[in-house]
Amino acid sequence: MAKVFNWQLGREMDYPYEGTRPRRQFAMVFDTNKCIACQTCTVACKTTWTPGRGQEYMYWNNVETKPYGYYPLGWDVNILEKLGVQDQSKPVYAGKTLFEAAPPGEPVLGYLPDDADYANPNVGEDDSTGLMPQGAYLTMPHMQWMFYLARICNHCTYAACLGSCPRQVIYKRPEDGIVLIDQTRCRGYRECVKGCPYKKVYFNPITRVSEKCIGCYPAVEGGRQSQCTVTCIGKIRLNGFITTPDRADEHNPMDYLVHVAKVALPLYPQFGLEPNVYYIPPIHVPPPYLIQMFGHGVPQAIETYKRARDDKRLLGALMLFGSTPEILHRFRVIGDHAIGYDEKGGEVVRVPLTEPFQIRAFFDEARKVYRHNVT
Amino acid sequence: MTHAMRWCWRGAGTALWLLLLWGAALGQSPAPAVRVTWTGPIVDPDSLVWTRAPAVTVPLTPQVITVPHKPDPAIKELTVKVVHNGGWIAFLMEWKDPTKSDTIMLDSFGDQVAVQLPISKGAAPSPMMGNPGGRVNIMQWRAAFQHDLEKGPPTIKDLYPYAWVDLYPDEILGVADARPYAGALGLENPISRGVATPVLDQMAEGWGSMTAKPDQHALGKGVWRDGVWRVVITRPMVSDDPNAPVLLPGEQTVMAFAAWEGGNREVGARKSWSAWVPLLIQK
Repeated sequence: MAKVFNWQLGREMDYPYEGTRPRRQFAMVFDTNKCIACQTCTVACKTTWTPGRGQEYMYWNNVETKPYGYYPLGWDVNILEKLGVQDQSKPVYAGKTLFEAAPPGEPVLGYLPDDADYANPNVGEDDSTGLMPQGAYLTMPHMQWMFYLARICNHCTYAACLGSCPRQVIYKRPEDGIVLIDQTRCRGYRECVKGCPYKKVYFNPITRVSEKCIGCYPAVEGGRQSQCTVTCIGKIRLNGFITTPDRADEHNPMDYLVHVAKVALPLYPQFGLEPNVYYIPPIHVPPPYLIQMFGHGVPQAIETYKRARDDKRLLGALMLFGSTPEILHRFRVIGDHAIGYDEKGGEVVRVPLTEPFQIRAFFDEARKVYRHNVT
Repeated sequence: MTHAMRWCWRGAGTALWLLLLWGAALGQSPAPAVRVTWTGPIVDPDSLVWTRAPAVTVPLTPQVITVPHKPDPAIKELTVKVVHNGGWIAFLMEWKDPTKSDTIMLDSFGDQVAVQLPISKGAAPSPMMGNPGGRVNIMQWRAAFQHDLEKGPPTIKDLYPYAWVDLYPDEILGVADARPYAGALGLENPISRGVATPVLDQMAEGWGSMTAKPDQHALGKGVWRDGVWRVVITRPMVSDDPNAPVLLPGEQTVMAFAAWEGGNREVGARKSWSAWVPLLIQK
């Protein structure tokens, strides 16, 4: 295996191919604190890309409840158990990645789910960790908790699906880092389904080949954000391009959130794939669980996020979520507004840092009635 | 053992295996392709022509050379007979398989068997799917394709009896306009369906390079009965396809085999395979 540098782990690691980065990398930031699991993203993706035969239970985008929701069943706890407990306490990862833990004769440590594991996409939905006793009240972090984890393909820098395919049918586009399966050459071996720890490659039993999230590349090529992003009614998502930390541009909203403010973290970075969907962790969930899921940066990310109201730049970046269908390449905060720019530097959106609101009097003098809703 | 050491060891192991398998053909007396009187392609495993040919036992070894490995494949050997009629050459492979696997779902794999022939005359290419510059013709029979042809391609109701779907794009748009929603089927990926024949006529020049040819010439048929697969793969001895072998009576060549037991989750590289076996095409 070749040695590649994984910035999320702060060290080199083994990978089946030489480390060649795309010219730019498709990325998403999801704010888990804002997600209400309405599944509008799921439906938008489903109706756009997977309404066909053999795709009935295929959700390239899904939203699951943590800790007891999984699609497919047990996807993360299964691979975490196989990998074993690893040391994630330091910026330089001291444990093993899935590539480094690969058994002899295998490209990566993985497993093939059972077909039935996909049968209940909403298993564990809204299940909390436990019951609150009579008279108890929540403190931070919550003693009983759950949160929603929206998931798409991570379009990993070191994709395990790509590394698992013995035919090199899976490729990472140099122009945007989107990971695709060549539908004309795939032979349905399911090595990618086995290799992807996020289980974001799916097998279509009607076409007999594997399929996966395509990062809405026709939209991205046209400068637009993905379907799951633009349809998100909670405005939890931002889709754009990210660079490596050594080349981070603080004016790029993705770079700013991930590399500068460090509020958005990769999902299970210890797997070693350098995934490119970044999560703002839920502030109410006990850190040990979150550190296993998002890495050592969780406590700092939560502290920074909680102070967003006092940080105009961070607040501005967050307010740009769901503000426009265009991909924002740069942003600025001027006065009380955040402004987003397209690739050519043209302004595409301007949003206030604080939504304007007006409080009306409780009693309406003109009509001599009390108002129930005063905002 | 460190990771690097393991990879070095694998490299050394590969060279050893290559020597063993490549050289295995040397010194063997060739299996005969017996000339029979028969008109047209020979596709029926139950045909009487097979009584004319001697059975050759071909041992199969686990594929543990290229990643991913299959150290414990189920099929240890094939019983092979070869006949020809001057126009078509036909291979009959028999092996024990307690389960008939002809349904493809995420965790269900299909039974398969393949015959490999060198495309060019002269020194044989690598028996392991050829090598760059050393092309091979690989004809692969698939139980799932046999099922497609005999009982029709599976619907979602066949695979999941309790599935309920309100509407598919092709029911509104028509098949042509719905092609973008049909994935690999819309792109006519040759492995999506068995069309006209359960055998894929392919070529390769090394691992990962298997390609179905634009012109499909191979035919065949498989019958599973009493825990035994009996599969015929046949092809024209001469064709205008530059990537097909030219097989002439009186000449000697080599053949190799690979087999997959779906019930043992064998697919792709996870298979058992043979060394080159010398083959004499009788006059």
